[in-house]
Amino acid sequence: MSQRTKDQNVFFVLILMLTFVLTACSGAAQPTSEPAATEATEALATEAPVQSGSLTVLEWAGYEIPEMWVDFGNTYPDANVTFNFGGSDPDIYGKVLAGSSEDIIHMYTPFLNFYVEEGLIQPLDTSKLTNWEKVPQGFKDACTIDGEVYCVPWDWGYSSILYRTDKIPEGVDSWEALMDAKYAGHISMWDDGPSAVSVGSYLKGYDETNLTDEQLEEIKQLWIEQRDKNLFYWVDEPALEEAISSGDVWVAYAWNGAFYRLLQAGVPVAYADPKEGRNSWIGQYAISTKAENYDLALAFLDSKLGEETATHLLVDYAYGHPIPEYFSVVEDPLLVQALSLDDPGILERTNFTVPISSANRDRFVEMWAEVKAAP
Amino acid sequence: MLKNRTIAWSLLTPSAAWLILFFVLPMIGMLILSLRPDMRGGPFQLGWLPTVKHYQNIITGEVYLPLLWLSIKVAFGVAMAATLLAYPLAYFLVFHAGRRSSFLLTLAILPFWTSYLLRIIAWKTMLGSNGLVNNLLIYLGLVEEPVRILLYSRLAVIVTLVYVWLPFVALPIFASLHRINPSFLEAAAILGASPWRSFFKVTLPLSLPGVIAGFFMVFIPTVGEYITPMLVGGTRSTLYGNIIELYFGDGANWPLGSAMSVVMLAGVLLLALVISRLVDLRRLVG
Amino acid sequence: MQKRGAPFFAGYYILLLFALYLPIGILFLFSLNDGVVFAFPLKGLTTHWYRDMLRNAELLQAGMNSLQVAVASSLAATSLATTSAIALLRFQFKGKSPFIALALVPLLVPYIILGAALLVLFAILGVERSLWTVAVAHTIVSLPYALLVIMARMVGFDKHLEEAAQDLGATYVYTLRRVILPLIAPAILAAWLVAFTVSFDEFILASFLIGRRPTLPVYLLSQLRFANRFPQVIALTVLVMLASLSLVLLAQWLQRRGSAIPESDRSGQFARVPGFEDLAFQGEGSSEPHE
Repeated sequence: MSQRTKDQNVFFVLILMLTFVLTACSGAAQPTSEPAATEATEALATEAPVQSGSLTVLEWAGYEIPEMWVDFGNTYPDANVTFNFGGSDPDIYGKVLAGSSEDIIHMYTPFLNFYVEEGLIQPLDTSKLTNWEKVPQGFKDACTIDGEVYCVPWDWGYSSILYRTDKIPEGVDSWEALMDAKYAGHISMWDDGPSAVSVGSYLKGYDETNLTDEQLEEIKQLWIEQRDKNLFYWVDEPALEEAISSGDVWVAYAWNGAFYRLLQAGVPVAYADPKEGRNSWIGQYAISTKAENYDLALAFLDSKLGEETATHLLVDYAYGHPIPEYFSVVEDPLLVQALSLDDPGILERTNFTVPISSANRDRFVEMWAEVKAAP
Repeated sequence: MLKNRTIAWSLLTPSAAWLILFFVLPMIGMLILSLRPDMRGGPFQLGWLPTVKHYQNIITGEVYLPLLWLSIKVAFGVAMAATLLAYPLAYFLVFHAGRRSSFLLTLAILPFWTSYLLRIIAWKTMLGSNGLVNNLLIYLGLVEEPVRILLYSRLAVIVTLVYVWLPFVALPIFASLHRINPSFLEAAAILGASPWRSFFKVTLPLSLPGVIAGFFMVFIPTVGEYITPMLVGGTRSTLYGNIIELYFGDGANWPLGSAMSVVMLAGVLLLALVISRLVDLRRLVG
Repeated sequence: MQKRGAPFFAGYYILLLFALYLPIGILFLFSLNDGVVFAFPLKGLTTHWYRDMLRNAELLQAGMNSLQVAVASSLAATSLATTSAIALLRFQFKGKSPFIALALVPLLVPYIILGAALLVLFAILGVERSLWTVAVAHTIVSLPYALLVIMARMVGFDKHLEEAAQDLGATYVYTLRRVILPLIAPAILAAWLVAFTVSFDEFILASFLIGRRPTLPVYLLSQLRFANRFPQVIALTVLVMLASLSLVLLAQWLQRRGSAIPESDRSGQFARVPGFEDLAFQGEGSSEPHE
C-alpha cells in the first residue's frame, strides 16, 4: 500500500475517532429524561399539597427560560419541568395530534378550538386557579368553549398596521392602508391565510366565523389585487423589521413586538389604531388529556398568571399579560407606547382572534395558497 | 466479472432493503395519502373513503399546474445559468491551474460548506436597497436610486439560487473535463485545428456527460425549492414547493400536499426519462 | 494544453471566487458587529457574540446534533454504497439495472417530497420523529452520490486484478480486504465526505423529520425569530466554516505527502483532488492499453 493510501487511512480513522469522541461526549451531556411517573402518583396519593413531580411542556422557543415560569419555580422548587419545542401552531398541533405526550401545551387563540374538537385537552377547574378572578372577561371568554374553560391566557399582543411616520406623514387609520396604491411596492403582509381573511372581513364588513363561499371569493380577489402592491410576505419578524428599518417597507401588518424593537432602534414608526379595530392574538396554556399530574399542571398554569412571571413577560419580551394590575411595572415609555398601556379603551376597540373550525381553517389556507399561486 | 450470485446478493441486499423500506414505501404511503379527503382525526385514522378530489383540484383548478410550469421554468433558468457560469471555472481549473488545481477547486467549493440558510441571508443584505450592490452602483454613479428589483423578486430568487449551486455544479464538469485524454487535444492541434474548433469539436462533446450531470443536479432539487423564495422572493416569487410546504406545514392539509407532490414527481420523472435517453446509465456499469 | 486565454480564465476564477466569498465575508463582519439588526452600517466591533455562543448550550447542542446525524448517515450511506458498488461492478447477475435505477432515483425526488413522504411513513408506523429519522432520510439522499463516486473510481480499475488474486488462491473475502478495498479507499473517503457534507447542512428533510432535538440549520431558522440571538448563530456558522476549511486543508496536506510516488496502476497524469485522482487517467474516449 502506498504512502498516500496509508495516510488516507490514518486520516479516515482520525476522523472516525474524533467524531465518535464528540458524539460520546454529547451523549453523556444529555439531560436525564423526566423521572418516572411513580413520583408524581405518590405525591398525589398523599394528602399533602403537590410539592414535587414532573411536567413536560410543549413550548415555543424562548419561553423555557426560568424567568418565564418563575412563580412556579419559586413555589415548587422540587418539581422537574422539561420543555419540548414546536416551531409554530400547526407544528405543535400536528405533534399533539400525532400522539406527542406533553402535559401542558402552549398554543395561540385560533388553534384552541381544534384541540377541543379532537379531544386533546381537558377542561380546567378554575376554582383551583388563585389568579383567575383577576383576568378580564374578554380574556376569559377567549378560553371558554361551550361553557367550559380550557385554557389560561398568558402572552398576548396586537396585530395592527405598523408604518413609517416619515414616509407616511398623513398617518394610517384603516386596514385599507395595506391595499393602498399610494404605497405600492412598500407594503408587507404577514404570510398567513387566516389573518388575511380576518383583515379582508374587517374591510368588507363580513363576519369571519360565517363566511359564505362568495364572500371568501371576494376576499380572495381583494388579496390577489393587493399582490402587485405588496413587496413580500413576511414570515419572521426580523426580516420585517429589517425591511422597515431600511425603508423598503413603509406599511405592514405587524405585531407590537416589532413596533417596540423598531422604537428602541430609533426608527420613526407608529402603530395604527384602525377604525375597524386592531386584531389581537392570545397565547394560551392548556392541559393535555394525557397529563398524569393534573393538579401540578394546573398549578403551573396558575403561576403563569403570577406577578413575577408577568413582570418578566412584559419587560423582557414586550408582550402583554392578561392581568391589568401588573401593568404598572412597565416603566420604559417606549414599551408603554408599544403595548398601548396608556390607552385604556384600546381593548374595547380590539377584535380578538376568534376560534374557527378546522374546516374553515382549511378553506382559508386554500384561499391563501390560491392567492399566492395565482398567475 | 464474477458469477457468484450469493455474494453479489448478500452485498446488495442491505442497500436494497434500506431503499425499499425508506424510499419506496414512503412514496407509496404518500400516494395513498393523496387519496384521503382531509386530515380530520389525525394521521392514524383508517376509516376514510378514497377520493380523487385533490387531483381534480390540481389538474383542473387552473392554479397549481401553471405554478408547476413556472417552477420548472425557473429551475431550468437557474440550472442553465449555473452550468454556464461554472463551465469556465472548471475549465480554468483543469487546463490552466496546473498543480494547484485541486486546491483551487477546493477553495471554490468551500463556501458550499457554510450554512445554506445563512448564505442566503447574507446575500439578502447584499441585494437590499441599503446593501452592498446598490451602494456600489450608486457610488459608481450608475444609478441614482437603489435598484429595488434586486431583492424580493423572481430575479433575486434566481440569482441567489445560482449563487448557492454554482460551486456544486463545477464538480462534475471538472471531473469530466479532467478525464479527457490530453493526447486528443494535442492530436487536434497537430492536425491544424484552431483552439476554438478544438474546444467545440473535442473538449465540449467529451465534457458533456459532466455538464448534463451538473445541470440535473441543480435542476431537479430546484423544481421543489421553497426556502429561497421564502427568504428573498417577492410576492410573485411563490413557487410550487412553497405551496407544498404550506400544505404540509401551517396549512395542515397533507392529502392535498401529497397529491401536489405526486403530480410534481410525475412531471420530473417524465423529464428525466426523456433525458435518460441521452445519457445511458449502462455505460457506467458495463 | 492551451495557454492562450489564461489571464482571462484566471481573472474569471478570481471574480467568481470573490463573489462566492463575499456573503461569507459579510457574515463574518456581522458576527463581529456590536448590534442586533442585520443591516449596514455596522455599529462597532465586538467579540462578545462568540463568547455568548460558546455559552449557549442550546446552540452548541444543535451543532452537536447535526454532527451526530451527519456521522451516522454518512457512515451508513458509504457502507451501503460500497457494498452495492462492488456487487454491481464485479458481479454478473440479473437485476442490475433495476437496482441502479432504484438507488439513483432519489436524486430525482426533490427533498420536500421525500421529507413529506417519510413524515407520512413514520406517522403511519407510529415512529416518533427524532434525529434518527433525519439520519435515515439523509442516508437515502446521500446514497446516490456516494454510489456514483465509488463506482466512478471502480470503473477505472483493472478488473483483472481481483481475478488474478483469486487465481493465486485468495478467497473472495481476502481479496475484498486486501485488494479491492485498499484500492478504492480514496473513493470511499471522498464518498463519505460528500455524504457528510450533504447531511450536515441539510435543512428541508431535517425540518420535516426532527423530533425534540433540532439540527443546526433548523435551529438556525427558528432563531430568525429572535433577533437578539441571531448574531450568536452567525458566530457559530463562521466557526463551522473555519473548522471545515482546516479539515479540508488537512486532507490536502495528507494527499500531497503521498503523491510523490505515482501509483503503479495508472498511466498519464494525476490530480490531487480528494477522490478524483482516479478520474485523471483512462477516461472516456481514451484507449485502454491493457484490455
